[in-house]
Amino acid sequence: MTEHFEDELRRALRPVKAPAGFAERVMRALPERRESIVTPIAAKSTARPPNYWQRLRAPAALAASLMLAVLLGQRMAVQQQQQDEAAGLAASQELLQALRVTSQKLDLAYQAVKNPPEAETEENRS
Amino acid sequence: MNARAAFIAIVLLSMGSAFAQSPAAAHNRGQLRLPEFAGLTEKASESVNVTFGPELLGLATRFLNSDDPEAAAAKKLVSSLTGIYVRNYTFDTDFAYPKADVDAVRRQLNAPGWTRMVETRSRKENTDVDVYMLIENGRAQGLAVIASEPREFTIVNIVGSIDLEQLHDLQKLGVPDLELETGKKPPAAKPAPAPAPKK
Amino acid sequence: MPDDLLLRARAGHATAFAEIVEAHQGSVFSIAYRMLNNRAQAEDLAQDVFLQLYRKLDAIESLDHLGFWLRRVASNLAIDWLRRLPYTTTQPLDEGAEVAAAATDDDPLMSRELARLLGELAPAARAVMVLRYQEDRDIAEIAAALDMPANTVKSHIKRSLTALRSRMIGAKLITAEELS
Repeated sequence: MTEHFEDELRRALRPVKAPAGFAERVMRALPERRESIVTPIAAKSTARPPNYWQRLRAPAALAASLMLAVLLGQRMAVQQQQQDEAAGLAASQELLQALRVTSQKLDLAYQAVKNPPEAETEENRS
Repeated sequence: MNARAAFIAIVLLSMGSAFAQSPAAAHNRGQLRLPEFAGLTEKASESVNVTFGPELLGLATRFLNSDDPEAAAAKKLVSSLTGIYVRNYTFDTDFAYPKADVDAVRRQLNAPGWTRMVETRSRKENTDVDVYMLIENGRAQGLAVIASEPREFTIVNIVGSIDLEQLHDLQKLGVPDLELETGKKPPAAKPAPAPAPKK
Repeated sequence: MPDDLLLRARAGHATAFAEIVEAHQGSVFSIAYRMLNNRAQAEDLAQDVFLQLYRKLDAIESLDHLGFWLRRVASNLAIDWLRRLPYTTTQPLDEGAEVAAAATDDDPLMSRELARLLGELAPAARAVMVLRYQEDRDIAEIAAALDMPANTVKSHIKRSLTALRSRMIGAKLITAEELS
C-alpha cells in the first residue's frame, strides 16, 4: 500500500497558488535595463605592422610559444584541479551516504531493542 | 547522553590509556574482510558500496562543507577514523542475496577483541541485526553492523577511534529529527534571516 | 508557451519576461512554500529566484531547461535558507495558503498533517520529497537539480516515506494495516 500513501502525499502536496500580484511585484523589482552578457567582438587592427617587428619575429615567436606553453600548462593544472575537486565532492557525497546507512541500521537495532515484539517475548517465556 | 547513546555504550569499559599498538596494526584488526558481492549491484534495485581507507577518507573529508550541519557532524566523527566500509543492497524480492556470505562476515566477528553489543532476531519480520564493537585498551576501535532484512542487507565496518557521542550525532545525517525517534522535542523555531529589502 | 518567448525575453522585452513569470510563479512559489512553510518568506525566495533568472536568461537553453533551472534554483536556495536555521527546528504550518488545484481530499486532516510533517524533514530530504511528490520529477532530474547521486535521492525518498508513515501511525491518523 505504499502507492496509497504516496498518493496521499501527492494530495497533501498539491501546488499552492502564488500570492495575488506576485508577478507585478517581481516586474517592479527588476533592474531597469537587462545587461546582455554578449560582448562585442573587439575590432581587429588593420594597421600594417612596422618593420622593426619583423626583425624581432623569431624571438617574439619563441616568446609567444613559451607563453602559450605556460598558459596551456596553467590551463591543464586548472583542469586537473577541477577534476580533483569533482572527485573530492563525489567522495564526500559517498561518505555522507555511507554514514546515513550506518545511522539507519543503528537505529534499526535500537528500535528492535527498545520495542521487542510481544509475541516473540511470550514465546521466549514459555 | 540520551537512551540511544547509552544503549550504544553499554559494554564500553572505562576510558583508559592510549593504545600501544601501531595505527596500521589497529586499522587492520578493526577491518573486516568483506566479500565482493559480485553481480549483486546489477540484481539490486538500490545499492550503496563504499570503501574508504585512510587516504580516501581524508580526501572526502576535505570536501565536506562545514557550514552544513550534516556535513559538519560527519567531519567531526570521521576525523579520528581510518576506514569506512559499507555494503548495502536492496532488492525487489525476498532474500535475493547470498545469506552465506553475510554469515561469513559475522563469523569474523568471533575474533578476539570484538564484543557483540546487540543481537536482535525477529522471526515475525525476518530481520536480524547485530552490532559489534572492537574494544582495545578501553576504547572503541572498530564498529560492525550487520543487518539482514527480507529485501535488504547491510554490512557496515567502521575502523578507528570511535567517539560514541559523535556516533550518536549520526542521527543528524538525513534522519528526520522527529520527536518519536529522539524522545526530545526540537527547539522552538527561530525566525529566518531577514531577506534583503525589496525595491 | 510560444518558442520565441525566451528569445524575446533575452532581447529585453519586459512583457515576455512577465509571461515567463506568470507561467512559472505557481511552481516556484509552491516549492518555496513547501520548503519554508512560511508564506512571506516563500514570496521573498520566489522573487529572488526570478531576479536571478532575469540576470541569467542567456544561460537558459530552452523552455524545458527553463523549468529545470527554476526548480533547481528554488530548491537549492530554500535549502540554503533552511540551513541557516538551527538544524532541529519545527516550523508551524503557515495557514491560509491557497491550494491551486480543486480540493479532492477525502481526508483534509491527513493532508494537512502530512504537509506539516514534511516540514520536519532535513532540508535536503525535504527538497527531494517536494520535487518528487509536488513537482512529479523523476529520480534523475531530482539528482541533477540537487547535485546529488541518484542513489542518495532514492535513499532520501525511502527514509522520508518510512519516517512520515511512522509519524502518521503514531498520530493515529492511519493504522499500520492501512500501510501493510
